[in-house]
Amino acid sequence: MRVFLQPRPLFIILSVLCFLAFWLSLALGPVSLPLVDTLRAAIRLTGIPIQGDNLEQAELIVGQIRLPRTLLGLAVGAVLALSGVAMQGLFRNPLADPGLVGVSSGAALGAALAIVGGSFFGGLPDAFEPYLLSLCAGIGGLAVAAMVYRLGRHNGQTSVATMLLAGIALTALASSTIGLFTYLADDATLRTLTFWNLGSLNGASYVRLWPLLLVCVVIICWLPRRAKALNALLLGESEARHLGVEVESLKRELIFCTALGVGAAVAAAGMIGFIGLIVPHLVRLLAGPDHRVLLPASALAGASLLLFADLFARLVLAPAELPIGIVTAFLGAPFFLYLLVRGRS
Amino acid sequence: MMRPHARLLLGLCAGLFFLPSAFAAQPSSADLPQRWVSAGGALTEWVVALGGESKLVGVDTTSLHPDSLKALPKIGYQRQLSAEGILSLRPNILVGTEEMGPPPVLSQLRTAGVQVEVLSAEPDLPTLKSNLQQLGKLLGSEDKASQLIASYDQQLDDQHRWVEQAQQHQSAPGVLLLVGNGGSKPMVAGVGTAGDWLIKQAGGRNLATHTGYKVFSVEAMAGLNPQVLVVADRELAGPAALQALPRCRPCSNRTRCWLRPRLAAKADCWIWTRPCWWVV
Amino acid sequence: MLQAENVRIQRGTKTVLEKIDLDLRPGEMLGVLGPNGAGKSTLLGALCGELKPASGEVRLDGRPLAHWSAAARAQRLAVLPQSSTLSFSFRVEEVVAMGRMPHDSGHVRDAEVIHAALQAADAAHLMGRSYTALSGGERQRVHLARVLAQLWPGGNGQTLLLDEPTSALDPLHQHTTLQAVREFADRGAAVLVILHDLNLAARYCDRLLLLEGGRPFALDSPDAVLQPDALKTVFGLEVLVQRHPERGHPLIIAR
Repeated sequence: MRVFLQPRPLFIILSVLCFLAFWLSLALGPVSLPLVDTLRAAIRLTGIPIQGDNLEQAELIVGQIRLPRTLLGLAVGAVLALSGVAMQGLFRNPLADPGLVGVSSGAALGAALAIVGGSFFGGLPDAFEPYLLSLCAGIGGLAVAAMVYRLGRHNGQTSVATMLLAGIALTALASSTIGLFTYLADDATLRTLTFWNLGSLNGASYVRLWPLLLVCVVIICWLPRRAKALNALLLGESEARHLGVEVESLKRELIFCTALGVGAAVAAAGMIGFIGLIVPHLVRLLAGPDHRVLLPASALAGASLLLFADLFARLVLAPAELPIGIVTAFLGAPFFLYLLVRGRS
Repeated sequence: MMRPHARLLLGLCAGLFFLPSAFAAQPSSADLPQRWVSAGGALTEWVVALGGESKLVGVDTTSLHPDSLKALPKIGYQRQLSAEGILSLRPNILVGTEEMGPPPVLSQLRTAGVQVEVLSAEPDLPTLKSNLQQLGKLLGSEDKASQLIASYDQQLDDQHRWVEQAQQHQSAPGVLLLVGNGGSKPMVAGVGTAGDWLIKQAGGRNLATHTGYKVFSVEAMAGLNPQVLVVADRELAGPAALQALPRCRPCSNRTRCWLRPRLAAKADCWIWTRPCWWVV
Repeated sequence: MLQAENVRIQRGTKTVLEKIDLDLRPGEMLGVLGPNGAGKSTLLGALCGELKPASGEVRLDGRPLAHWSAAARAQRLAVLPQSSTLSFSFRVEEVVAMGRMPHDSGHVRDAEVIHAALQAADAAHLMGRSYTALSGGERQRVHLARVLAQLWPGGNGQTLLLDEPTSALDPLHQHTTLQAVREFADRGAAVLVILHDLNLAARYCDRLLLLEGGRPFALDSPDAVLQPDALKTVFGLEVLVQRHPERGHPLIIAR
């Protein structure tokens, strides 16, 4: 009999981990700052005037480079993990992941279309660009999610195999369309298209952060309220209906939520895969599939995992930087294969 | 988009304005940046040619010549620079072309007081000259820059004369210029690129009519039937670069293939380290 | 109380069920029998609102089923499907707790109900175990407990629909399950149960509905419905009908 962690110890551990990840992300980096300076700079940023000499560099590095990057990592990690949980609840299968199912590629395509379309009109207005990109990425992700869901449904049953295959096909379509844009484009604007393929938290700025933070807050507030309904949905759609859950509207909410979350994350940081697969899985292993625990725990765990991965990405090749999408793929793909093998035995 | 000159001036002013005391000593216009980071293989070669190698503290992954650069810390690919990574080298200046990015990183660097020089990548002679002069000024070796420009002008004049003479005997040969990247699919230089300029200077006819660099199929290349095929590869030289060409060579028996491995970078880089000569 | 009036179900152009007039009375256990493909599961689908009738109406407490909100309906109508596709390792009591979703009864009361429902389904010893580690029969009993918990304690105005609840169970548990359902009905709930085993149906049900080819063949007490010629017609089986020596209900013996 498997022993699960009780919710309270689990949340304590995850909160400590997240806190640690946050501080390490602020304290460590290619530029070596003494820890005291980091602390002082961080305190200064909150508005408390604290004494200290030579703090300008620390304030700059911590406040302008590391802090937005850390916040971005927190938000992207949490949102991707929650989208993974939502997707796995929707498809009633623990192998569903927004990336595998093609939602990330759809979001990237949406953002690419926004850039291409924007360049037709002489460039996107700077103030709105992050919001516009997030919106278009969200729409792209939504289109793919809806398509995959439709294709995977047959006679009231969801075929996971079909859904994964549809995801592969749609990912290929989205990627080649983006490739086509890249090929046809000589324009400087379109050079950013290569950005989407391998996600990175590089160049994080507060301006780009806002749409994602907004979406993050919305998802974190909304999803846990549907935790019980999500549990019931795992029994099966008819069973959930018989338990009083409005199944159709719940499914629509889940698709929308996933697309919105993934869209905002992709628009802000490019395609970062496997977080939505690994994190909910690990949390289920530790604490069981009850969504009332799974949802908040996955958000914390996803944020922590992404920050640790980013720390690695930043330091391993300093002063250059590894795209974080590579790190998560190296973690996630073997994990996925392991799950497949274990599922068979 | 601003003209390169105006942009450089603005960049220079902006850079000077934001320099904080925590970094290098407060510079006056007499003080030159001492710690250089360079992004873009060709630019780095020019910095070295102008005598600035000792000032380089970091280069990007496209800066491969001269070999001594390999010992320097690498800041990554020029389109995906890391602000903190570059700052850890404590540079005074970052030079690169418009290909440098991502833009938020550049503004973060400017805020940190690093002078960010964005030089134009237009593949024409006036740009080349003004960039060289700018680099010379920043390195404090304006004389060397003028010398290099003059010698380059001289070489080009010689080349033009030679071409005029050659053209009295025969018509301009059809040429395709391929730029490879360590053996991966070579791209054909189209109209308006540095490769195109090179072909024209050498007196040839660029058979490619597209703009920018595009990958051609072997069949398409063979269909154009070039008389001369120039292959430039960033890393491979000599026979190795030839091997990297598709098995079925797109040349007829009359075509000669020439290899010039030192033509820098595959994108719209405007600087050539030395002109390309060939004999028809 | 659940009522079906002249219900007809079509699948594409084919009529799979018709002429269904049914009244599920409180305190009564109605058994549905018939060969494979006779329309038993379709009937269940129509009665619980899964399948929309092409004509006719299903009413719950006088109001058409479609007019009920999902939450309100869930407090009065519970359905146990034939099999479950749950593949996540919830604990047994968590699965049963899902049955309490339509109710706002609080932790303490819920825990009592879960415990009682598990007892009734003879699955109390499974508490604390992971659902995915259970055998097919054990899982079926856990789902029965869930459905019982949904309507607990079961009284007038509540309806329970069960689709072959004994299919994966051993002989002892076939009886204990149906006994628990019987007790549920005795408390006032209306129960409809699809069964394959004629003898189980004869023992536990108050009335029997015999379906053949999508049409009701007979709807009456077990004594009246379980006649040799009727069974020969519907099932194609030659049988002897005797009396149970102790209980007196019909006993079907294949010849």
